[in-house]
Amino acid sequence: MGEGSELIDKIRAKARELLQGGRVDCFIGYEEGSRGRARPAFIYDPQDAERLIWDERCAHNLVTYLHQFKSPLRRGEEPPRVGILVKPCDSRSLNILFREEQIERERVYVVGVTCDGVRTNGRPQERCRRCAERVPLVYDIVMGGVPNVLGRDDYADVTKLEQMSPRERLAFWTKEFDRCIRCYACRQACPACYCFECVAEQLDPAWMGIAIDLPQKQFFHAMRAYHLAGRCSGCSACEEACPMGIPLSLLNRKVAREVEALFGYKAGQDAETPPPLATFKKEEQLPM
Amino acid sequence: MASNNPYLPYLGTLVGVRDLATGVKMFQVALDDPGERAGFTYQPGQFAFVSAFGVGEAPFGLASTVLRGPLLEFAVNRVGTVTDALHRLGEGDVVGVRGPFGNWFALDKMKGKNVILLGGGIGGAPLRPVIHTILDQRADYGRLTILWAARLPSLLIFTDEFDGWRAAPDTALHVTVDQGDEAWTGNVGLITELLEKVAPAPENAVTITCGPPIMIKNTLLTLKRLGFSPDQMIVTLEAKMKCGIGKCGRCNLGEKFVCTDGPVFSCAEIGQFLESF
Amino acid sequence: MQVTTREHLTAWLDGLAGHLTLIAPKTVEQRVLYRPVADSSEIAFDFARTDLPVKEHFLPPTHVLLSIEKGKEGVRLGEPSPERERVVFGLRPCDARALRVLDALFLKEPADPYYAERREKTTLVGLACREMGETCFCTSLGLAPDEAGDVDVMLTEMEEGGGEGERGRGREGGRRYAVQVMTEKGAAILGVLNLEKVEGTLPVPPAGSKTPVLEAGAWPRLFDHAYWARLADRCLSCRLCTYVCPTCRCFDVRDYEVPCEGASSGGASNGSAPGGRIERLRAWDSCMAEGYRRIAGGHNPRLTKGDRLRNRLYCKFCYYPQDYGPVACVGCGRCIAMCPVNVDVVEVLADVATL
Repeated sequence: MGEGSELIDKIRAKARELLQGGRVDCFIGYEEGSRGRARPAFIYDPQDAERLIWDERCAHNLVTYLHQFKSPLRRGEEPPRVGILVKPCDSRSLNILFREEQIERERVYVVGVTCDGVRTNGRPQERCRRCAERVPLVYDIVMGGVPNVLGRDDYADVTKLEQMSPRERLAFWTKEFDRCIRCYACRQACPACYCFECVAEQLDPAWMGIAIDLPQKQFFHAMRAYHLAGRCSGCSACEEACPMGIPLSLLNRKVAREVEALFGYKAGQDAETPPPLATFKKEEQLPM
Repeated sequence: MASNNPYLPYLGTLVGVRDLATGVKMFQVALDDPGERAGFTYQPGQFAFVSAFGVGEAPFGLASTVLRGPLLEFAVNRVGTVTDALHRLGEGDVVGVRGPFGNWFALDKMKGKNVILLGGGIGGAPLRPVIHTILDQRADYGRLTILWAARLPSLLIFTDEFDGWRAAPDTALHVTVDQGDEAWTGNVGLITELLEKVAPAPENAVTITCGPPIMIKNTLLTLKRLGFSPDQMIVTLEAKMKCGIGKCGRCNLGEKFVCTDGPVFSCAEIGQFLESF
Repeated sequence: MQVTTREHLTAWLDGLAGHLTLIAPKTVEQRVLYRPVADSSEIAFDFARTDLPVKEHFLPPTHVLLSIEKGKEGVRLGEPSPERERVVFGLRPCDARALRVLDALFLKEPADPYYAERREKTTLVGLACREMGETCFCTSLGLAPDEAGDVDVMLTEMEEGGGEGERGRGREGGRRYAVQVMTEKGAAILGVLNLEKVEGTLPVPPAGSKTPVLEAGAWPRLFDHAYWARLADRCLSCRLCTYVCPTCRCFDVRDYEVPCEGASSGGASNGSAPGGRIERLRAWDSCMAEGYRRIAGGHNPRLTKGDRLRNRLYCKFCYYPQDYGPVACVGCGRCIAMCPVNVDVVEVLADVATL
């Protein structure tokens, strides 16, 4: 992808420059993990920029970590400014968070990188196969070569779901959620899930119970899908994080497709367009 | 499953509910089963779980003492879902009680010593049975100094007992609030400031502090400055708990559990904790 | 040495399934989980390690502690009905050791009657590991992939004549297992299982890694090290590691009204209905969750991810052994395999040895 080690050097140099110049207090990127995996990296010291890598193993959506940098690192200080490496899909999450005023644009230095797709354990991810956006949508600087591959999203997976009868769909999702363990990895990996107190854990009112049983699990996933309506960037971090291999992005894509059909809106394309479910237009009045 | 189930509560009836302060109520519980009532013996410092059936249970310090009767008394501050549900109960309603749990104040070791008690807000509740024990066995203990505090006058608990405490021999009560109101004529200031003012002598003395974590930490620092050694400073801690018997894993401070190794700890023990409470 | 064949095993298991609950590894979508099976045809005999540990059958994700009935005569408390007798088949030594680790806490006075009953009513038929998984490190914790001391019966698959890998259809039934009866309970369950006495020795277990594991007393001095906060930077604060871990056991307890006949409990409820039935539920909880230690009123002694991740590791390698004896980790490697952000306990152990 890109220019290989030359690109990695450019990323490292940029991170080093940002940290040395005090433009950012922390640079979030990827580093070599254990057992041949890549993992999120948090660089605070310019000389640690050497740890940064960039290759097809860098699948995580790092935007979710911006939420933990909203408070000062030390008492009495300003919240830290952060540099972040984003792929095109991650950049959509950024736009959503900028639009929702969760992250201040000026506090983030965005290093965008073009992407030919990522892999999990050597296997290309499904979302990359159908990805048509190979250049980040928002950045302060973009790196990487012209992307080689351009995918196309035919929503075949969603169509297959829609061809099932309601009964078949219920049976399908019941079978999938049966092995959910309510570990919340999906929620925690998601950049758009940032509520201080999630509906799933609220005690007063107790929207759902603590039980790890099918009714609560169905409620949680349906609720989360609705809360993401018009807000999901399609990054699949949820599905990648799930230990039980539940096709969560299918559910979110179904909802996203509904939103697109109803409002002509796709989340994350920019940070200006008002999201449909947070906007009321007079002409949307229901007939009396 | 035998009745040897530590998660099974005793059933009890609320025989008394009265307001202690804003948002704080005193619950008097009589255990229904006579055998359970007779067998429920406890020491000052211990706690029990009280169930608001339909919502859940939470741990509360026992604010009563067996010396004064079989009724179990709990001071309950309305801050969460269980306490809110308890506050909506009235006399005659059924609650569950599990306990007694935890360790207790070594009152025997305090005999012959001057005892200084520092209670902040709802933290005064576990100190009440200590006061009652000392007053009921007055000759066994030295000077009793009580420092009582709350954020506001309306949050002071057991105000109806203040006169009785002051009237006891060789007993002093000092009260302070963080912020007064129009009617308040007493001390205004933190309990640590009051403590510096009263400046009890550390010789032959022991202290017990209970209140919010920040109050405990600052009070211990002040006591240290006044010359008290870690062994002379006793505290009782609270933590979120779900079982009270050391199974749910929740209330640990390092390898110690507040429910089984505590809730009473000495400052010396706290100094060994890896974690802060 | 006693041996049996796959064919005889399946017949025996079918017999067992007829009169008690048989729990065995089962393929569920692309995962292998210990699940109740109706007969041996549902069993996944060839698997490396199940994705969830067997602990879910001893400390269920959710179960009823007691029922509370409010009627005209007052309040009546009820305990759940007795559990059925069960056999767990295909238990890996790490999961079996994990039960011993949990025993040290849950059977300690006052014993947890729900756990104790399940332990008592379950016979464990183990299956020794033929290979070490990529993330396995049981050997670093003094465990062996063929450890038989924690089960009632231990099966070890024998190498077929020409070596491993004879996976042809007709040969499946002929696959041979050495059978070691470890306890009286194990002897009792064997019943009519066809056993043949042969000469020979058990296969040599696969060799494992030897990551240094710092003993409990050496951890406290590292408590304030900056390492923990840095490690936790990438932690998502989900609950995945604790839920897939065979020895993690923290739980939550809460009451719920049972809405109506046949409907499930665990649903939302804040009040207490004048009549009707309430269930007190116990469910898995996790020390990694942000609100785990938060008390009503807001105070939270473990506010940061670093505090919580440090606590989890210390609980496993420092506190649990000090309080109960065994280290609360059996080296199964599930957390390593499944953590989305590569928090790797083997890497942590290696790091800690050098801090």
